[in-house]
Amino acid sequence: MENGTFVVRTHGLRKDYGEIVAVNDLCLDIPSGCIYGLIGPNGSGKTTAIKVLMGLVRATSGSAEVLGRDVPVKGKDQRVSYMPQELALYTDLTVHENVLLFAELNGLEPAHLEEREREVLEVVGLWDRKDALVGHLSGGMQHRASLACAMINEPALMFLDEPTVGVDPELRAGFWEHFRSLKAQGMTVVLTTHYMDEASRCDIVGMMHKGRLIAEGTPAELLRDSDRDNLEDAFLVFIRRCPE
Amino acid sequence: MNGRRTFAITKKVLRSLRHDRRTAAFLVLMPIFMIAIFGYTFGGEVKDVEIYVIDLDEGVGPVDLSNLVIGNLRNDGSVKLVGVVRTSDGLADPVSYGRDKVVAGEAWGCVVFPADFTSDMMAYSPGNSSAEAATVTLFLDGSNFNIMQTVSAAVGSSLTEVITDDLGMALPVSVAPDMVYGEGRNFLDTFAPGVISLAVMMVTFMISIISFIHERTTGTLARLLSTPVTEGEVVIGYALAFGLIGLVQSIVVMATALLMFGVQVEGSLLLVLLTVFLLGLGMQGLGFLLSANARTEFQAVQFIPIILFPSILLSGVFWPLESVPEVLRPVSYLLPLTYAVDGVRSVMLRGWGLEEIWPDLLVLLLFAAAVLTLSTILMRRR
Repeated sequence: MENGTFVVRTHGLRKDYGEIVAVNDLCLDIPSGCIYGLIGPNGSGKTTAIKVLMGLVRATSGSAEVLGRDVPVKGKDQRVSYMPQELALYTDLTVHENVLLFAELNGLEPAHLEEREREVLEVVGLWDRKDALVGHLSGGMQHRASLACAMINEPALMFLDEPTVGVDPELRAGFWEHFRSLKAQGMTVVLTTHYMDEASRCDIVGMMHKGRLIAEGTPAELLRDSDRDNLEDAFLVFIRRCPE
Repeated sequence: MNGRRTFAITKKVLRSLRHDRRTAAFLVLMPIFMIAIFGYTFGGEVKDVEIYVIDLDEGVGPVDLSNLVIGNLRNDGSVKLVGVVRTSDGLADPVSYGRDKVVAGEAWGCVVFPADFTSDMMAYSPGNSSAEAATVTLFLDGSNFNIMQTVSAAVGSSLTEVITDDLGMALPVSVAPDMVYGEGRNFLDTFAPGVISLAVMMVTFMISIISFIHERTTGTLARLLSTPVTEGEVVIGYALAFGLIGLVQSIVVMATALLMFGVQVEGSLLLVLLTVFLLGLGMQGLGFLLSANARTEFQAVQFIPIILFPSILLSGVFWPLESVPEVLRPVSYLLPLTYAVDGVRSVMLRGWGLEEIWPDLLVLLLFAAAVLTLSTILMRRR
């Protein structure tokens, strides 16, 4: 995917769960090669939006396109990877066996597998723990193992759902450093967070409230537009501007 | 269907077991435990066992003793006369006809009253050593020990009742069983096929329902499905793993039955394993299907007794289908275990091959295909 194109596009995307509207009229255009942060409080529709884009739940209406392919697609794209909010790893398997599973499911060539596994596990600092059962690792290490599984297929686009929840500040800084290095390699990172301070680290921020995208822009643009000096206050300004 | 992705799922399931030694031990030891425990507690009341009667008795004047015995058998709840053939029916070889019914599995037994039944009985008296005792021949399918005993007992008691009670005579007759199947078999031989099938069914069903609900509640299933792997590949990958586990279990339990309890196998061991493998596939598919209708692991385990209890009681594992009340028999025919038990028992005790048990295999195959397809569809409709 070339720079200057959009890797994710949605138009009027909506997802209902019975009476509840989880995502409402979502219109996104996420350019290639950026770190895009979807921010908002719990229940604002961030995770549902990601799941719709991953084809894990069907949208009620509207359209979505990921890497130029309509969602849901028949046969997932191995250039896209997903790290869910929960651990979602096999705790009764080792780090190596988890990484191997996701490598094989993504069709990684066996010849490159060992080299690639070492690369990603060294990035997340787990190479020396690769034979440990995931269930025996600390919470932080489990998070890193989860990120390694999302990275193993050398994706062009990564969806990371709350990747830094429950992660200590040192590790969180390490994660962000890594996201920037992925971006430098031309990868697009779409992440969700409810930590407003993390939003300032993103290239583009989309603010969600009650399923709607209430504001979008670079952190500087959002601060200017709201006339506030931090994104948390800016978010409250945009909520007030938003019609019920 | 991508083989590498499918096998990746299969390997994942098997690797989990390698790290979970307690579960692995449970999978191997439970069938052995079952065959040892249930082997000595088998029982049950048998009813409506289907038998044929070949009545060649010519009687003596107006007296026809075989008719009295037949009338008594009709009133005996343990057997059901599905056919009574008389000399007047004009069959060339009625005895062979009756025996063939047993050979073909259409009846569990066949009672043959000879032409001189009444006259021999009337001529016989304990003090008359020159008189010959009448003989009733009984062809029996001994592949089910309980049923065999039931038929023998029903014929014996009917004869005794007519002769001693109705006629006031001493019993001048003996029953001569001619075992069509199951000659020399004991109690354990009869019930081993059922336990082998039941053990595989229980374990594959339980671990599949729990594994799959665990996949769903921990988010790993959604994560798997975010990769190029398809729902069908996940289901088939799991099916292969659990099928393999079922196969290993059946080998273990067969080895236990053969080596420790001296159970004998008349037919092909491979055919037994194939039958059990198909049952394992179907039961784990059912586990997937039911787990899709549960939100929590607690809800999922509620399905286990709902499926296991009817299977244990109504599938002919410990009690023959003939002992199942008629109102419940349709349930028996809905349970896949019924067909597996029938197939495995026929191979192990009757020595039957593919040409005889194919209907059982077909039902098991169709059941597995149906539940696995439904599981895949249900997973797609998330």
